[in-house]
Amino acid sequence: MRAIVSLAILIGALNMSTAARVWARPAESSGDAERRALFLRGAQLWPVYCNTCHNARPGAEFSPAEWSMIMMHMRTQGNLPAKDARAILEYLRSSR
Amino acid sequence: MGRLVFGLLMPVVLSLVSSPRSVALAEGDHTSSSADPVSSRDREIQEIKREIRLLQQRVDELEGQNERLWKANTEAKSSSEKFEAATTQQLQTLQGQVDSASSPASFAEAFNRYLGNYRFTLVGGAAGSFIYDRQNNINTFALDLEPIILWRISDRMLFEGTVEANLPSGSSAEYQLPVATLQYFLNDYAELELGIFDQPFGDWYEDQSPFWVNRFITAPLPYGANALVPPTDVGLQLRGGFQWGAMGQVADYTLWTANGPGFSQATCTGNTPPSPLPTCTPEALVGDTLVSVNNIHLNTHTPAFGARFRIYPLPVDSDLGRLELGASTYDGKWLNGFWLNAWGVDFNYFKGNLQTRGEWLQTYRQMPNRIGADNRQGWYIQAGYFLTGLRLPFLPAEVNQLIDKLEPLVRYSGINQRAAVQNEILTTPEIGFNGSPAVFAPHAREIALGLDYWFAPSIVWQNEFDFELPRAGGFYSDTGRAVGATPNDRAFLSQFAVGF
Repeated sequence: MRAIVSLAILIGALNMSTAARVWARPAESSGDAERRALFLRGAQLWPVYCNTCHNARPGAEFSPAEWSMIMMHMRTQGNLPAKDARAILEYLRSSR
Repeated sequence: MGRLVFGLLMPVVLSLVSSPRSVALAEGDHTSSSADPVSSRDREIQEIKREIRLLQQRVDELEGQNERLWKANTEAKSSSEKFEAATTQQLQTLQGQVDSASSPASFAEAFNRYLGNYRFTLVGGAAGSFIYDRQNNINTFALDLEPIILWRISDRMLFEGTVEANLPSGSSAEYQLPVATLQYFLNDYAELELGIFDQPFGDWYEDQSPFWVNRFITAPLPYGANALVPPTDVGLQLRGGFQWGAMGQVADYTLWTANGPGFSQATCTGNTPPSPLPTCTPEALVGDTLVSVNNIHLNTHTPAFGARFRIYPLPVDSDLGRLELGASTYDGKWLNGFWLNAWGVDFNYFKGNLQTRGEWLQTYRQMPNRIGADNRQGWYIQAGYFLTGLRLPFLPAEVNQLIDKLEPLVRYSGINQRAAVQNEILTTPEIGFNGSPAVFAPHAREIALGLDYWFAPSIVWQNEFDFELPRAGGFYSDTGRAVGATPNDRAFLSQFAVGF
């Protein structure tokens, strides 16, 4: 029981102490330069990260809104770093 | 304006007035001898006055009409100015939108906003298979469907639910709920997951089990029909990943607590299947089969704990390929006071058309009644090579195009355990897990050869030959009977799998 309470406190602290956006839609509030940088990073990471487990699927297979959900799922499934997951999402949404 | 019209009309009026009069005067001159000149002039004057009145009325009418036209013209001019101003503004707005939509991404985003924000989507997989097993002379078709429901509750929260539907042997459709989790992203480095989840132990259950992801049709022996670690569990996870070096040099972790393992224990000496009720008290046996999901665990008050770490040492731009190294542990009481401890290591490497992966795992299960520990080891190693880009000059271009989509595969896997429970041996294949009952041998070995034809990245026709080569015997723990190395078996499986 003590362990569970400690875990809950730790999780709360982690959540509150970090004000960073977690899964905000990429670059909605940023300029085209940041978006382009994300896109280029995503273009490099997409074939590497996806092919680690399965064949990389092209951006045209799903709509941008569907990709945003699928990438949330894949971030969990592959424990992808948030920044890399956002970059791959930007690449997939833009390369349709 | 009225004056102007009147001025214009007056000469006409005067000419009209003067003409009859001159005519009348001429006539008067001609008839003056026969009529009274005074009364005749009066009549003419009266006639002229009447005509003047008529003309005045006509002038008034024209003035009114002109006034109305003037008003209408003014209104039309005003409307035209307003319309022109509005059109100019709209054009400016549209021009601004066109200028701001400078990239396909912006357009896609704008179009997506127009269509609406989807929060619910369906992905998953489906597979239709044919299975032949030589030893049991089985020829059968099988079908399995695994839709995954994703519901994005917020930017931080996602619900994932997997429903599995299949048609087992001799029965109608059967449904399961292998995954139902709520995922909450705490920050960029940590995420909380709650629910029924694929066991994060090793690389198989979480990442390799979907039909179209698994390069083979069956699972490798340690994760197959007689698995060493429970495939799913109910509990709570804390997980995340982070970059520690150059791009692609990342590491990740998964920590979890769950209900823990459970074993069938449904068999005991004297049971007479297929009686639904045991005819004697269930007892723990070496070689018991794991039960898949422990929704409510009754055996123990201690949950299981697990941890998994992975590291990717090679940078993306190093051109050395992608290497993944992982280690896992899973520990929980399967019965009051009796632990199942498991640990394993795994790797995955791919570069270009080549992909290899492998795992080694070991479990220690404490047993009651002093019957000795139920320890097991399992492993597999597999490799596949896409023939994409291979051009054989002596073959026509059409054949080379077909070869382009082929992926030959090989896998070697095995399990060591002291005993098997004879009553728990599945004599019918289970789609995605085994093609032959020989995998339940105490020292099972299997060589699988595969040939996949990829129609698209997630649509594949898979073919697999399994060679079951049990190395040594052991004993059946439910009957106590010694068993030698079971006869080798062959199985052939063919499957069409789609990821959607």
